Amino acid sequence: MLSEYPATKRPCSEAGNPGGDPADTACALWLNNEYTVAEAGRLPELQVHLSLVERLRQVTAVRKGCVVLILALIWQAYAMLLENELMFPTFSSALFALYDALVQGELLRAVGTSLRVLAAAYAVGVVAAGLLTVLALTSRFGSDLLETCTGMFNLLPAIALLPLALLWFGLGYPSIMFVIVHSVTWPMTLNIYSGFTGVSNTLRMVGRNYALSPPAFLFKILIPAALPQILTGLKVGWAFSWRTLIASELVFGVSSGSGGIGWFIYEKKNQLDIPFVFAGLITIIAIGLLVENLIFNVLEAKTIRKWGMQS
Amino acid sequence: MHTSASPEISPFLEVRNLTLQYTTPQYLVTATWNVGFQVSSFDRLILLGPSGCGKSTILKAIGGFIKPAGGEIRLQGKLVTKPGSDRGMVFQEFDQLLPWKTALENIVFAVTSARRIPRRQALEEAREWLHKVNLTAFADAYPHELSGGMKQRAAIARCLATNSPLILMDEPFASLDALSRSAMQEELLRLWEENRRTLIFVTHSIDEALILGTRIILFSPHPGQVRAEFTSVRRNVGQSLRGRELRERIEYLLFQDRVDYAI
Repeated sequence: MLSEYPATKRPCSEAGNPGGDPADTACALWLNNEYTVAEAGRLPELQVHLSLVERLRQVTAVRKGCVVLILALIWQAYAMLLENELMFPTFSSALFALYDALVQGELLRAVGTSLRVLAAAYAVGVVAAGLLTVLALTSRFGSDLLETCTGMFNLLPAIALLPLALLWFGLGYPSIMFVIVHSVTWPMTLNIYSGFTGVSNTLRMVGRNYALSPPAFLFKILIPAALPQILTGLKVGWAFSWRTLIASELVFGVSSGSGGIGWFIYEKKNQLDIPFVFAGLITIIAIGLLVENLIFNVLEAKTIRKWGMQS
Repeated sequence: MHTSASPEISPFLEVRNLTLQYTTPQYLVTATWNVGFQVSSFDRLILLGPSGCGKSTILKAIGGFIKPAGGEIRLQGKLVTKPGSDRGMVFQEFDQLLPWKTALENIVFAVTSARRIPRRQALEEAREWLHKVNLTAFADAYPHELSGGMKQRAAIARCLATNSPLILMDEPFASLDALSRSAMQEELLRLWEENRRTLIFVTHSIDEALILGTRIILFSPHPGQVRAEFTSVRRNVGQSLRGRELRERIEYLLFQDRVDYAI
């Protein structure tokens, strides 16, 4: 569609600058045609609703749920072919065992015991990591200490400390606490510290520009700016502590009868209740996924992803 | 200092014999050498020079982020020793807005930290400033949802909202595309007309310097020294003969020192 300007060729200097500054005659472009664009009402629909199936396929949980379902079906089919309930029970019998154990309260008790120890040890680990980081941020000795310690102890599997822990703290929860704290503290410290040191210089200068006090600087600039790494640290710490807990419970259980979920698995293996062993394993996975999705993912969605600090 | 630096007779900002150095793992590098200039209230002073002439470093020193190796900086007679909210800073980087705060909250944060006024009043003023930079519709957007030009507008609003008498801008439009850049220059001039402050603006673009500045200080490359001082003519310099002469003169001064071509 042509505008009211005919296609006469005029130099743009004439059209744009009636004053005719000689400097603009160097401009050698000509206005040939002008077009008008279609109005919004005359265009095809710009937003079209996706079908239900299409929308469901966008949901990650649905897609991942399908993967789990397929794996479960394969398990069931293979176990039914094998017909050996002792070595490899079917998925369905594991589910029934899980239901039984839950109803009897045995499994819930075990989970409760495990989670209590875990929460205490995790909290100690978080506090220790925080203190170490603050020490490292405020002094050169602190940062040397932190880097050396994380460098050494990060390589030491927590289970390798178990014999020593048993020697020092005896059979029981203090020993488990000790190894879990060890497994949590170092990776978490490493993440939090690298988060703080990675805060962009511009953001630091912004904080200093407003003359924030050191605590305000820590809480208003450093911690939110380092939150992606802090959350990663918390997640890594969670995974490490959860695995260490189960492993140490499996290795030596506890003296009293009210053991955790690792002890539950160990005991059921001894009684040759293999479906219950699988039920225990499923529980471990389920709790891990629950914490990952309900706590960490929600936390991430409400903070760093909303802020565009992580895609 | 025994010199009577009473605010009445001392210039608004005085930079005297300023030498700035920084250390790399191997060297102690001198960025600027013996730089001196004065700024009067409501000047729009441009620090212009090739990359590596230390103009940003001078700005950061005025901001209090860098300690001088020699010389001194006095703001209204008082020696500058550390950063403070009496010198608002706008950076080149887009990440200067706090990503965990919305555009509005970024301004509120600055206002409450710098001026310690109640939150309600801060909110009101922040909204007003967002309106002045045409971001009212984006008050609740997080920085990552804004375009580059919007981010810089929010940063400028944040800086002006603190009522700092001195505004320091470190190539704030350098990362913008050419269209947004010239729009932002217009907008900055408009804001300055509405709400006059003293402005020190670092750039490596001659055009930008001529559009924005009332005064221009030209630096020689590495180490930065004052090469020339200009008082710019009125706006629309591209059209006026004196403007073009000025530009040619600046270009001559810059290229004479055989600067790299990325000016």
